[in-house]
Amino acid sequence: MMPHSRIRRIGWIAALATCTALYLMLHLKVHAVTSEVVRAERQIVALEQQKLLLETEFETRANQLQLAAWNNVDFGYTAPSAAQFLENERQLASFGTARAPGAPEPIRVAGGAGEAPEYPRLVSPLTGKPVDQALLEPERASGFVAPRLAGGATRIPLGAVVASAAR
Amino acid sequence: MNALAVPAQASSGRIQLVDVRRRALLVAQLRVLLIVAVFLAIAAAALLRIAYLGVVQPARSQHSMADALLPPRGEITDRNGVPLARAFPAYALWFNPEAMGDDGTPLVRPARAVAAELKAIFPDLDAAAVAGQLASGKAGYLRRRVLPEDANRVLAIGELALELPRESDRHYPQGSMAAHVLGYVEDGQGHVGMEAALNERLNDPALRSEPVALSIDARVQGALEDELRRGMLSVDAVGAAGIVLDVDTGEVMALASLPEFDPNKVDADGQKLVFNKVTNQVYELGSTFKPLTVAAAIDAGVITDLSRRYPATPFPIGGFTISDSHPLGASLNAPEILIHSSNVGTAHIVDDIGPARMKRVMADLGFNERPYIELPARGFPIWASGDWPRLRAMTVGYGHGIAVTPLHLASAYAAMVNGGIWRPATLHKVAPGHANRGRRVFKASTSARMNQLLRMIAVYGTGRNANAPGFRVGGKTGSAEKPGSGGYNKTSLVSTFAAAFPMDRPRYVVIVMFDEPKGTTASSFQRTAAWNAAPTVGRLVPRIGPLLGVYPDETRDVDLTDLKPLVGDDG
Repeated sequence: MMPHSRIRRIGWIAALATCTALYLMLHLKVHAVTSEVVRAERQIVALEQQKLLLETEFETRANQLQLAAWNNVDFGYTAPSAAQFLENERQLASFGTARAPGAPEPIRVAGGAGEAPEYPRLVSPLTGKPVDQALLEPERASGFVAPRLAGGATRIPLGAVVASAAR
Repeated sequence: MNALAVPAQASSGRIQLVDVRRRALLVAQLRVLLIVAVFLAIAAAALLRIAYLGVVQPARSQHSMADALLPPRGEITDRNGVPLARAFPAYALWFNPEAMGDDGTPLVRPARAVAAELKAIFPDLDAAAVAGQLASGKAGYLRRRVLPEDANRVLAIGELALELPRESDRHYPQGSMAAHVLGYVEDGQGHVGMEAALNERLNDPALRSEPVALSIDARVQGALEDELRRGMLSVDAVGAAGIVLDVDTGEVMALASLPEFDPNKVDADGQKLVFNKVTNQVYELGSTFKPLTVAAAIDAGVITDLSRRYPATPFPIGGFTISDSHPLGASLNAPEILIHSSNVGTAHIVDDIGPARMKRVMADLGFNERPYIELPARGFPIWASGDWPRLRAMTVGYGHGIAVTPLHLASAYAAMVNGGIWRPATLHKVAPGHANRGRRVFKASTSARMNQLLRMIAVYGTGRNANAPGFRVGGKTGSAEKPGSGGYNKTSLVSTFAAAFPMDRPRYVVIVMFDEPKGTTASSFQRTAAWNAAPTVGRLVPRIGPLLGVYPDETRDVDLTDLKPLVGDDG
C-alpha cells in the first residue's frame, strides 16, 4: 500500500508542478504579448504625432496666403471662364466627333514632330554607369519581346501620331 | 500471566490498530481536502486572472492610448475638414543650468562658443544676449518655438544644459487667414473669435477629441481675403470687410475683416486689429438699403405697377432737402430709382409705405438688435426707438439715420433673395435639412421680383462692374458718407456692394465693403462703390462660384424682358 500511495502522491505533485510550470509559461507569454501591445501602442501614438506634425507642416507651407502669393508672382492663374465649363455629357461627347469639312485645324500644344525623349536608364549604385539592359531583362536580350519596345522608349510622340492621323 | 497477557495484548493491539486506521483515514481525508483546496485556490486564481485580463487590463491600455492622443484643446476645422486651429506639440529651447547635476559649470564649453553654435542654427538669434544668459547661470527660455529639424541640430551640439521640452501650442496653419473668425488662445483661454465662443467645448475632455467643423470654406475664405486685400490696397482704403453667406441655411462661408492680425503671434500691434468690422462695427450702409425699401413697398402692395413714376427733383421736407448726387431728370420709375440709385425717388416710395410699416419691416429684418452669430463681438445697431417721423423713415429708406453691421445687411439680403425667409447667420456647419426655420419677412413673389431688379442693377445700372460673365450676379452699390464731428464728412466714404448670385436661383450673398477708399488710378479716380467694391465682387465671384457649386453658364439668366422696357435704352 505504501509504495502505491507514494507513487500516487508523487504523481499528484508532478501534475501540480507541470500545471504550475505551464501556468507560469502562459503567464510569461501573456506578459510578453501585453508589453508588445503596449510598445505597439506607443509606436502608434508616436506615429500619429508625427503624422500630425507633418500634416500641420504641409498645411502651413501650403496655406491659402502662400498659394495666393505664388499664384500672383509665379503662375498667374485666373478663375476659369464660362466657356471653360462643360454643361452636360452631350457637350463632352461633341469633342469626340470628327471634324467637320472646312473646320479650322485644332491647335496642338503637346509634343513635337520629333522623337519623344528616352526614359532615363537605370544607373548602377556601385559604378554610377547605366546598367546593361540585358542584365535587367534577360528575355528581351534573347529577342523574345517585340522589337518596338527595345530602347526603353515606350512613350509615343504625340506629334507623330497626329501627323499619321492627318495623313 | 502470559496466557492472560496475550489476549490482553491482542485486544489492546486491535484497539491500537483501529485507532491508527482511524487516524490514517483522517489524515488521508485531510490531505484530500487540502489538495482539493489547493486546486480550488488555483482554479479561483486562474479564473480571477482571466476575469482581470478580460475586463480590466485591455480597457486600461486602450484608455492610455486614447489619453496620449487626446489633444489638450480641440481642433477647429473648416467645413471640409481642413484644420484651421489645432493643438500642436512644439519644442521650446530651455536653458537648465542644473542639468549636469554637479557643482561645476553648467556648460561643457565656453558660453560664447555655445551661443555661436546656436546662432548658426537660428540666424536671427542675438548671440551676445544668449551668451550673457548662458554665462549668468540662470534658467530660462532661450527660444519659445523650435522646429523639429532645428531641435535635432541643437541636440547635436551636445550640451546637456540645453533642453528641448515639448510644449503644447495652439497653431493656426493658415496664418492670418480667418483670424477674426477664429480668434486666438492665450494661457489656455480663447479670445475674440470662435476660440472664445467654443472655449468650453474645446477644453472639455469628453468632447475635445472631435474636431469642431465651422461653416467656413477655407478656399472661399482665402479668395475673399485675397480679393479684399487687393481691392483695399488698390484704392488705398483704411479697412475692408467682406462676407459670403449661404442664403438658404444662414451659414457663413467666409467672413473677413482687414487689416487682419496673426493669431499665431498676437502682440500689441495685433491686439489693435482684433476688432471685427463685419460683426462689431456699425455703418450707415447707404444705398444698399434701397432694394430693401422697394421690396417692402412691393410686399405692402404700395408698388403694384413698376412703371409708376415718382418725382426725382429735390424733395424738401421738415427743413431738410433730400437730393441726388447728380440730376436724374424730372421723374423715375422704381426700376430706374434702383438702377440710378435715386435718394429722392426712394424717399417718395417710403412716404407711400408709411413710417410705421417701414419700421416694422426693418425690425423684421433684424436691424433693431445685435446680429445673430456665435462670435462674442457683435455690434448694436444705431436704431431710432419710438415712432419714426416721416423724415427718419425716408432717410432709413436710403440707408442713412440707421447704422448696422455688414452682417445685418447680408442676412437681410439673404432674406430678400431666398424667397423671403430671414434666418440667423451661423458659423457652425449645418447638416443638410437642419437649417433654421427662420421667419417670413417677404412674400415669395416679392423675392422673385427683387431678384429681377437686383439683376437689372448689375446689368444696366451701377453694379455693371460686378457682372461676372456667366454667374448671373445681381446687387446694389452703396456709397455713404461717414458721419464725423458736425455732420457728414464729404471726403470719407464707406462704399459697399451687396450682391447675390446666381440670380435665377440665388444661393449666396456676397457683401464687400471698403472703409474710406480714395480715388486712385485703379478705380478711375472714383471713390464710389461702383468703382471699388463692385469690381472686387466681379473678380471674387468667378473665383468662389465653382468652389461653392455654382458654375458659370452664359445660356442661363433671369428673365428681364418684362422690365427692360421700363428702364429705356440707355439704362
